[in-house]
Amino acid sequence: MKKMRQIKKILIANRGEIAVRIMRTAKELGIGAVSVYEKPDSEAYFIRLADEAILIGDGPRKDYLDIERQIWAARKSGADAIHPGYGFLAENPEFPAACERAGIIFVGPPQGVIRALGDKVVAREMMKKAGIPFIPGTGNLSHGEKGIKEAMEFGQKNGYPIMLKASLGGGGRGIRKVEGKSDLMVQLPLARTEARSAFGDESIYVEKCITAPRHVEIQILADQHGNIIHLGSRDCSIQRRHQKLLEIAPADLPPTVRQAMCEAAIAAARQAGYVNAGTVEFLVDSETNEYWFMEVNTRLQVEHTVTEELTGVDIVREQIRIAEGHEIDIPAERVQLHGKAIQVRINAEDPKNHFMPEGGKTVEVYQSPGGPGIRLDGIVYQGYKIPTEYDSLMVKMTVRGYDWEQTIDRLKRALLGFLIVGPKTTIPFYLSICDEPDFKKGKFDTGYIETHPGIFDYPEVEREIAKLAKLVAEIHVKKINPFAY
Amino acid sequence: MRKGKEAFEERITPREMKEKGVRHILDKIKKSKGYYLTNTERDLSQSDFKNRIMPHTQILVAEERNACGYFSIEISGGASVHVDMLRRQINPIEKLQVLSALMPETMFQTLCRGTNLFGYRPYPENVIRLTVRAFAPYVQVWRVFDFLNYVPNMVPVFEEVKAADRILEPSICFSTGPEHTDAYYVKKVGEILDVTGSDIILCIKNHAGLGTAKRIGDLVKSILQKFPDLIIHYHGHNTDGNDIGRTVEAVRNGAKIVNGGDHAFTGFYGPPPLLTVIETLEDYGHRALGIHKQAIIDTSNKLRPEREYYKDFESQFLGFDPTVQIHKLPGGATGSSFEQAVKGGFLHLMPHMLQNELPRVQVELGNWWSVTPGSQILWTTAVNNVLKPPRYKSANDDLRSLMLGRYGEFPFYRPADEIYEAVFGPEWRKILERDGGYQKVEDVDLEIERRVLEKRLERKATENELVLYLQHPNDAVNFFKFEEKYGKSWILPPKIWFKKGGFNLAETFEFPDAYGKLHSLIIGPQRKTSSGDVVTYLVVDHHPEPILTEMEQEGEKVARKATLSTKEIEALAQAGDIRSPIKGTVSEVPVSEGDDVLAGQVLIILEAMKMLNNVVSVINGKVSEVLVSPGDQVDVGDPLLVVKKAPEGAVGSHDATKK
Repeated sequence: MKKMRQIKKILIANRGEIAVRIMRTAKELGIGAVSVYEKPDSEAYFIRLADEAILIGDGPRKDYLDIERQIWAARKSGADAIHPGYGFLAENPEFPAACERAGIIFVGPPQGVIRALGDKVVAREMMKKAGIPFIPGTGNLSHGEKGIKEAMEFGQKNGYPIMLKASLGGGGRGIRKVEGKSDLMVQLPLARTEARSAFGDESIYVEKCITAPRHVEIQILADQHGNIIHLGSRDCSIQRRHQKLLEIAPADLPPTVRQAMCEAAIAAARQAGYVNAGTVEFLVDSETNEYWFMEVNTRLQVEHTVTEELTGVDIVREQIRIAEGHEIDIPAERVQLHGKAIQVRINAEDPKNHFMPEGGKTVEVYQSPGGPGIRLDGIVYQGYKIPTEYDSLMVKMTVRGYDWEQTIDRLKRALLGFLIVGPKTTIPFYLSICDEPDFKKGKFDTGYIETHPGIFDYPEVEREIAKLAKLVAEIHVKKINPFAY
Repeated sequence: MRKGKEAFEERITPREMKEKGVRHILDKIKKSKGYYLTNTERDLSQSDFKNRIMPHTQILVAEERNACGYFSIEISGGASVHVDMLRRQINPIEKLQVLSALMPETMFQTLCRGTNLFGYRPYPENVIRLTVRAFAPYVQVWRVFDFLNYVPNMVPVFEEVKAADRILEPSICFSTGPEHTDAYYVKKVGEILDVTGSDIILCIKNHAGLGTAKRIGDLVKSILQKFPDLIIHYHGHNTDGNDIGRTVEAVRNGAKIVNGGDHAFTGFYGPPPLLTVIETLEDYGHRALGIHKQAIIDTSNKLRPEREYYKDFESQFLGFDPTVQIHKLPGGATGSSFEQAVKGGFLHLMPHMLQNELPRVQVELGNWWSVTPGSQILWTTAVNNVLKPPRYKSANDDLRSLMLGRYGEFPFYRPADEIYEAVFGPEWRKILERDGGYQKVEDVDLEIERRVLEKRLERKATENELVLYLQHPNDAVNFFKFEEKYGKSWILPPKIWFKKGGFNLAETFEFPDAYGKLHSLIIGPQRKTSSGDVVTYLVVDHHPEPILTEMEQEGEKVARKATLSTKEIEALAQAGDIRSPIKGTVSEVPVSEGDDVLAGQVLIILEAMKMLNNVVSVINGKVSEVLVSPGDQVDVGDPLLVVKKAPEGAVGSHDATKK
């Protein structure tokens, strides 16, 4: 039995919208919030919200990834806990280890759990023991020529396409699809290089590729007392190159399947000795609803908002309470899963140009939607400059509705309620999806973006009057028409 | 007063021409008892309003003008095709499409500069033919001229106009002086008829409004004595205030078509008022055919309030100018010459320029016709002679080409040897022998041009876009990009288009767009952004919309601008740092980085005041950097390219290698 330890001050070892998200709950709990930041973030919104902000270096990114700097900042500010957010150090087992050595509470799973589940090969062995269905795959491939041979044998036996996955990858990164034998020779070395630079380890394993499956995940909470609950499912099938674009809760599945998956997720967590919030990801066959274990994400997810909106549970609050040693106090009957919630990531990117970030551009005008069922988690404001050093996420919008149809209507209404002048955004792309017949029918899988190229054909051609208005504004501002004189 | 029905039967319409053919129309004019009128809208706009009369204004009175019963309305050609793209931001072909739909009973007329088309120097023959074909569907009457009255320069256009079943109207440019006799012009008409056959209208093109009423009357009489069946169209300008006199004498001596403009917009250098011409001739017993006078009055009633928006484009000097008989500037060039004098700071030299230097240059260069492109050559030479003496030392490329005979034969005599020597140097005889002679521009590969255009536009180009691109490449591309960004702005009323000093807060506008949809705009407040740009809040169709206007970074511009003197620019050129000697547009960069160049070799061709100017290397060396590309605007002293000097004596000079 662990002893209770109340957190008084929490350091958020992250930036951007997730830093804001965590601070909001910290404030609700009366806990002091400490932000760390790299120099390029000096003007960032999240540090304005913090009770204290500590500069940890010139960055970019390297200081957010530096465990020692975080521990130093926690000591300096007197924080007794660290929340890692997502990305950066969130799934690095060295981080909780360093926290433990420093006597600081790490708001997340214990280092051993992160280490075990972070190694995809170890995780698979674990799930095998728990009796959870998983996709045929290999252990870590050997180095060099031998590894290529192993992968080839696997492909021969299980058929192509196959997936190359970085053992330490996650969040859609470090995954490559291989269509055939010759492709493998090219892709494997690339995958290794990519893995080394992204995760500091070039271990790769192979999995059979399930063509056009759905991506469904189960949110779980586990306390230090052995209580594990689930908070329902999320469908994250709509992805681009394995990066999630739009997330939905709950996944549209027959109740029996959904129930079975939730139970499997709890069994998986129990097998892993899981503590704190986590997500068990599955692939689901679009036709048969057969499902396979994919991986466990040992952190707060970007898309946790849809679950929060649906259940009313504040996941960050639960994370902190669990870290303090509390027992989960959420009776199963309180976990209501009515209606639908959808999250979209409004990024400063040009979807038509491979989602090229609009770094360096300034948001000259920003107006956001509101009204029933709208939640915004963002860092954007009028005058916000899209960083070139970090990601281009401006705001996540989560809408909640009574049913699928009403939620899409609401999403569309809310997207149209944005007014963003300056960078290109993903808004017209999402609007295009809202009008796409298959999406409206709820029919989509992980191949959705590739099989529906029409969604990129949204008109960029402005209305004639919008063009003329631009000219009138220019004549007004420049006090002369430069095109007439 | 004639009854409406009779007037309508006298009218000539595009439909009649389509149904019964060109010859029928010409016969109808020949047999008619009276004369026809052309509304030279284009020339009025060009001569008195620097070509700025906007399509919005033309559309405003399209219905009234269509009811007037003109033989034709000249609404295209001359400099208008260029200015449409450069300053009016309308596709010149689309303009004709829009207006012809609104004026279905009126024939459209264009003024075509022969081999120079709607531009300022000769075009390749395949471009000429393609251009005529692109405009012909909307233009029934083709008034064609050459500034040297050199018939071969007009032949490709003649052929294409005939092939398109349009009315061909070859022109003889008219001027005064000892060589400009009736006999000369009668002979010239004969040369034209030899090429065209008799199914034409002959235009007497009096672009400066020269000669007296009697002189024009005599000329018409002489031509008709020799060619009694010829239909003569007299075209004049009212610069000296007496074109009504000339027009009246032209008709009294047998001209069948004459010109005028809408009185609400008549100025001093363009056509005289139509109504005055009609009334005067009526008293002499000559009746204007097909004309509905009230419609002419209605047109001007509707036009009158619009004139105030065009005030900025009227000449710096208002008033008739009888000294035109001395300087012979064409109406279309008068306003722009004064504008240049004001901008160039030599307004005080204008009396000398116009009354002494310009007439002297004209006589020295051969006493041909001061009309595009000749008028620009004469004017630029006169200005250079006065501002950059010694005379003829600063000859531009066009004068050189002219003197080499590349544009055609001198009609009367060639300039004196001293002038050739001043322009080309002591070796001028060799140069003349080597490079002289009529030069036909070689055909361009249209598919390559299309690919270049499409690359610049980053999209497919239409056939008409290619045609416009071939006229004025850089201005056409700029216009196409403008239209993509700002839409069809020509529907904007002049009170918006020409507004200076910004609008008032809450000022409200209502106008239909080019597709007929009515819109409203209300001006709201504006806010400066941290980057120095401006956000204007407009209420567009009742929805508030913030609109971002990117501002040029003033600081950068100032820093870049280094004012250098001519001496400094020449000194830098010796060191291989090539700076622009003039303010203009980069027209061509014939060299690329890494090229070996010799002294005398052309590095960059700049266009300014419609003239081409060569920037020539003064040293031997290698091009190490090219800093500009075609279409770039450059100012005096702007860096153009860098030549790395070759070691002394490494290579011979450019001229030496040619021997």
